[in-house]
Amino acid sequence: MYKYLVAALLLCCGSAMAQQELEIQVELPKIDTGTYHRPYVAVWIENEQQQPVRLIEAWLEKPDWIKDLRRFWRKLGRSEPQLVDAKTGATKGPGSYKVRWDGKDEQGKAVAAGTYVLFVEAAREQGGRNLAKQAFTWDGSSVQIEIKASKELGKIQLTSAQGN
Amino acid sequence: MKKSILASFVIAAAISAPAIAHTLWVVPSHFVLSKTGSWVSADVSAANMTFVADKGIPVDNVSLYTPEGKKQAIEHKYQGKRKSQVDAQLNAEGTYKLELGGPVRFGTMYKVGDERKRIMADKKTRAKELPANATDVVTSQSRSRSVAFITVNKPTSEVLALKNEGLEFKSSVHPADIVAGEPVTFTFLVNGKAQAGVELEVSYEGERYRDEAGRVQHKTDATGQFTYTPVEAGVFLIEASYSAKAESELADQIREGLTLTLEAALP
Repeated sequence: MYKYLVAALLLCCGSAMAQQELEIQVELPKIDTGTYHRPYVAVWIENEQQQPVRLIEAWLEKPDWIKDLRRFWRKLGRSEPQLVDAKTGATKGPGSYKVRWDGKDEQGKAVAAGTYVLFVEAAREQGGRNLAKQAFTWDGSSVQIEIKASKELGKIQLTSAQGN
Repeated sequence: MKKSILASFVIAAAISAPAIAHTLWVVPSHFVLSKTGSWVSADVSAANMTFVADKGIPVDNVSLYTPEGKKQAIEHKYQGKRKSQVDAQLNAEGTYKLELGGPVRFGTMYKVGDERKRIMADKKTRAKELPANATDVVTSQSRSRSVAFITVNKPTSEVLALKNEGLEFKSSVHPADIVAGEPVTFTFLVNGKAQAGVELEVSYEGERYRDEAGRVQHKTDATGQFTYTPVEAGVFLIEASYSAKAESELADQIREGLTLTLEAALP
């Protein structure tokens, strides 16, 4: 009986989760400085064991400076060049940008229910570096979290949404 | 025992560098690089304060090892008054090792009356050089190395491989993975065997700007281990030294030194 219940639960929530996506809205603040360079930014998900689960997007330019995204470089950049190439887009100026996590790992498999951590790291040439880190529960329940702004990153909003 | 450590320390420092009892360190401009073909410049100095250059030393004994473990010629070398510098281009991916270290050296300390003297001789050769009235004769075999690691893209472990020779170390995480706030366990080994009682001193940059240097002394435990958690991101130094009575034809005691320059990255 218990076995069936677990199976039913898995079925129900597994499918609900498969449809759910996480929308991440990242703001890049306008920074008044004589020499503004667009920041290098990376957005990714790690599990509770601090292992990367999914690289969502990276906005990068020259290889020399990617190391300045210290955590991103250590967790993904240095060891997954092809993945990073595939997810890399041009650097962006001040503004608000939306990216999405489909709830899947790099193999395209829906992740198990649990706690995951969103990382957004930004580093700017002749500027500073900030790392935003936010744990969230990913089990089909709704997510609505706002991360406070830092110098290099404006506020970040995490919102669960229905997938297509 | 304390006295003999001190004596051997003076010998080791005196014969491995012009500076007496200074620490010899190698500190690269970068520990982590994200592009092959990047250049790295490293400062080499003998100094009392950690990373405050004091005396430039000869750079002939600085070697660069590629991720494959082969020696790579150093393109530019310069010996300055306060520090020396080496420049090298890193064309391969992986972890490089910069090492300052000479061969094993022998020195014999002795006394004539109250006067301390020293000759560069081992146990076999000392007899013909020692005066007839020499007392307190102790011959030391010493070697010291200073190393730093530079990683281009993905870390590799070839340059970390143990040679089972002299004082060496291994660590629970790769040097490129040392992060502020996360513990690292170092194991120190002598001739390939984990060694208890290796003396360690940990120091970090910026000593000139603090009243207290904040150095910490440790010893490896019974399993040769020592766990350290860098509090903040930055460059730090671990000076490891080990001395023991030797049962050899050439020396009465050995002294081994290993100085590691490491970077704790931002979390």
